Amino acid sequence: MRFGQKLAGFALTGFAVVSLWVAPAAAGWKIMPSGEEVKVAKSKMTVTPAQDWNRWSERPSKRGEIWTLDGISLNELTFMAQIGNGESLYRERDKKNNPLPKFKSDMLPTDLVELFEASSRIVLQTSLFEITNVEPTKISGKDAVRFSYRFVTRGDELARQGEAVAANVDGKFYLANFVAPSIHYYDRDLPKFRALTNSLKI
Amino acid sequence: MTAIVAQPLQAESNRKIEESKQRMKDSAFDYQPIDDDERGLWLQMDEEERSIKLSKFLVKDPALNEYVRKVLCKTVGELNCQATRIYIMRTPHFNASMAPNGMMIVWTGLLLRSRNEAELASVLGHEFSHFENLHSIQSFRDIRAKTDAMAWISVIAGSAGSLASLGLLGLVFDFSRDMEREADILALDHLVDGGYDPMASSAIWEQLRAEMDATAAERKVRSRKDKNDGFFSTHPNTGDRMEYLRDAASKKDREGKSLGADEYRAALLSWWPRLIDDQIKLNDFGATEFLLGKLADDGWTPELLYARGELYRARGKDDDFQKAVEFYRQSIASGAQFSENWRGLGLSLLRSGVKEEGQAALRDYVTRQPDAPDKAIISMMAGGN
Amino acid sequence: MCRGSYVMKHFGFGLFAATLLVAVPAQAQFFFEMGAEKSATKDGFVLPDDRAARVIVFRPDVNVGEQTTGGLNEPNADWTKEARTALNAALENELKSRSGEMKLMPDLAGEEAVLIDEYTRLFKAVANAAISHKLFSGDRLPTKKDAFDWTMGPGAAKLGDLGGGDYGLFFYTYDSYGSVGRKAVQAVGLLIGVGVSSGVHIGYAGLVDLKTGELVWINADVKMGGDVRDSEGAEKRISQLLEDFPSSGGRGKKVGAK
Repeated sequence: MRFGQKLAGFALTGFAVVSLWVAPAAAGWKIMPSGEEVKVAKSKMTVTPAQDWNRWSERPSKRGEIWTLDGISLNELTFMAQIGNGESLYRERDKKNNPLPKFKSDMLPTDLVELFEASSRIVLQTSLFEITNVEPTKISGKDAVRFSYRFVTRGDELARQGEAVAANVDGKFYLANFVAPSIHYYDRDLPKFRALTNSLKI
Repeated sequence: MTAIVAQPLQAESNRKIEESKQRMKDSAFDYQPIDDDERGLWLQMDEEERSIKLSKFLVKDPALNEYVRKVLCKTVGELNCQATRIYIMRTPHFNASMAPNGMMIVWTGLLLRSRNEAELASVLGHEFSHFENLHSIQSFRDIRAKTDAMAWISVIAGSAGSLASLGLLGLVFDFSRDMEREADILALDHLVDGGYDPMASSAIWEQLRAEMDATAAERKVRSRKDKNDGFFSTHPNTGDRMEYLRDAASKKDREGKSLGADEYRAALLSWWPRLIDDQIKLNDFGATEFLLGKLADDGWTPELLYARGELYRARGKDDDFQKAVEFYRQSIASGAQFSENWRGLGLSLLRSGVKEEGQAALRDYVTRQPDAPDKAIISMMAGGN
Repeated sequence: MCRGSYVMKHFGFGLFAATLLVAVPAQAQFFFEMGAEKSATKDGFVLPDDRAARVIVFRPDVNVGEQTTGGLNEPNADWTKEARTALNAALENELKSRSGEMKLMPDLAGEEAVLIDEYTRLFKAVANAAISHKLFSGDRLPTKKDAFDWTMGPGAAKLGDLGGGDYGLFFYTYDSYGSVGRKAVQAVGLLIGVGVSSGVHIGYAGLVDLKTGELVWINADVKMGGDVRDSEGAEKRISQLLEDFPSSGGRGKKVGAK
C-alpha cells in the first residue's frame, strides 16, 4: 500500500527536508554576519541580514539554503533561487511513488503559492495547511507575491506559522520563506524576516 | 535451520498471546460506557489516547463523528459499539485501525473513498472484527517473533537475501492473511445484521485496487496493488480477497439490504470540499481523476465538476488548462454559484493565453468573494487596482 | 487496511505494533555522540535565596521501547506505562525531600490541558535546540558561542498561573532496550568484526523561568543508566537528571549523588 511507505522522518519539524535521522558527517553551520550582503541558494540572489544568522551546510535541494537563529524547529529561513521549468522545489525523496509538483515557467503569482502549498503538504506529510493571506509585493522592483500560512507537522505537532515571498522572474522561481512556532517565535522574528526580504536582490 | 530457530520464538509468542487475551477479556467486559464527565474520562485514559484527543489532526466536528459512530453501531450492535471510541483523523489516505483498548481510528481519506454507507460500514466492521478476535495483539507478538528470527538467520547465513529468510517472510504474511480473512468473514455477518448489502465489502476493495492502477498508469510505473511493501504488508493479495468476499457475500441473503448512498452523501456534504482539496494536493492525478469518476457514477454534480477543474489546472500539462476551462464552465452552467469556479476559470484562461476573458472571470470572482484571502493578488492579476 | 503501521508511525502509538519503523526522535544524532553528560546554566543563574523558589514539575515525557534484532525501535506500551509510574513515583519522592519547593503540575483537562500540551511541545523543541546546538559538539550554532539564550517566551507565565509557581521543570526520557536478540546479534557482530550498537538511553531535564519563559538550566545525558521500569532504576534516573540542578544563592538542597 502506498501509505505504508517510510516517512521522511519523525524528526521533520520545519521545512528542512533533510532527515535528521542520518547525522550528516560534514554537517555544520556558518555564521552570516549582520550587515554583510551575501549570495544565497547558490545563485546571484543576495540578502543582507540585520543580525547574525546561522547558515546550514545541509540543503533542502541543490537550489535551496536554510538559515536559523536558534535552531530550525524554532525559526527557519529558507531561500530558493533559479528553480527552472520542470523542477521541484525540494529534493525528491521518492520520485516514483510520491512525486513533487514542478514549477512551470509561465506560472502566475497565485500558481506559485499553490505550488508552494502542494509541495509543503507532501514534504511535511500534512493536510493541516492553510494559506491565510496573499498579496502582491515587489522583490528588487520585480513583481512578486507575499503570502502567509499556518500549518501543523506530524513530527512535533506544534502549531506553526509562516510567511514567504515568491517570484517568477524570467521564467525562474525565487523564494524566501520563514517558519516558526506560533507561540512566541513567529511574532518575535517575523520583523527580522521582513527586513531581510526588503534587502533581497535578484 | 529455519524451523529450529522459529519454534522457541513461536512458543513464547503464543504464551504472550494467551496472557494478553486474558487481560483483554477482563477490560472489555468491565468497560464502562463513556459518560459526559470529560474530566473523569480524561483521568482514566492512556497517555496514547490522550495524545490522540489532543492531536491537532483530530476531526472534532460533532455531526461527522456522530454519523460515523451511528454507522459503526448499526453494524456491530449497540453493546459492542459502547466499547469503542472513534477518532477521525485528517489524513487523506485510506486507512482505519483499531487498538486492543477499543480505540478506533478512521482517516478522512477513507471517508472520501467510500461511496455509500455500506462501504464505510464494511471497513469499520472489518476493523472491529480484528478487535473481537484480538488479532492486533496476536499479530504484534507474531510479527515480532518472526522478524527477530529472520534477522538471526541473516546474520548467521551472512546475507539478508538468503533463501531461509525468504521462507520465513512468507510465513509472516500467511499468518496475517488468515487473520484478514477471519475478520473479513466475520465482518460480512456484521454488515448483513446492520441491514447493509454485503457486496459493499468487495466493492470497496475493487475500487482501491483500481485507484492504485490509475495512480500507476498516470505515473507510468507499475501498480502497487499487489506489492507487499517489504515487511509491512499485512494484507492478503487483494485480488484473492475480492474473490472470496464476493463469493461469501453472494451466499448471504441480500434481500432488502441497502447501500445507503443518499444518506452517506448528505452526511459528508459539508466536509467534501476539504477532503477533495486534500486529495488534489497529494499530486496524484491518476488516483484523483479515478476517484472523481467513481463519485460521479450517478452524474457529475457541480462540486465534482469544480473539483475536476481544480485537478486539471493543478497538473497543468499539455491541454489540461483548456479541459479545466470546460469543467469550470460546466459547473457554472449547472447553476453552481460558488465563487471559486470563477477563480479557477479565470486562472485557467490566463494560463491558456486567453487574457481578456481570464481577467474578466477573475474580476467576477473578486466581486462574488470580497473577503477572499487572495483578493489583493487576484485583483492585481485581473488588471485592476 | 494497514492494521496500524501507518498510524503508529504518525502518532507514536505504543498500542499498535505491526510496524517496526517507528522513528527514533530527533535525538538520533546523539548516536554519534560518545557517552557525554552535560549541563548548562544561563549566565550563572541561581535560584533566589530570599524566598523559596516555587518549581512546578511537569509530568515526565517518557518513551520506552525495545530495539528489535534489526536495530529498530518498537515502542512498548506496557513498559512505557511501568516506567511512567516508576518515574512519577521517584519524582514525588524527590519532591518530598525538597520540602515543598517543588510540586507537580496538577492533572488538568479541557482547554488547560491543551495549553500545557502545546507548551510542552514547544519546550521539547527548545530543549532539543539547546542540547544539539550548544551542549554537545558536532552541531553547534556559531551565534550561540557565547550565548545561552533559549526561551519559550513570556506567555509561559500562564503555566505559572495554572500551577502556582515561578519555575517549570521538564523531564524527558527515551529508552530503547537492546533485546536479548539484539544483544545476541551484537555479540555475534563483535566476533565477526562488525559493530552493532545495543540500547539507547537518553534523557534531559530543563528548568524554565516561567515569568520570562527563558530556559535557565538544562542537563542532558545520552548514556543514561539503570532500568527506568523499576523503582530503583527510576530513582537513579531522576537523580541523574537532576545532577547539577541550580542551587539557590549559597544555601539550598544539593542534588543527591549518582
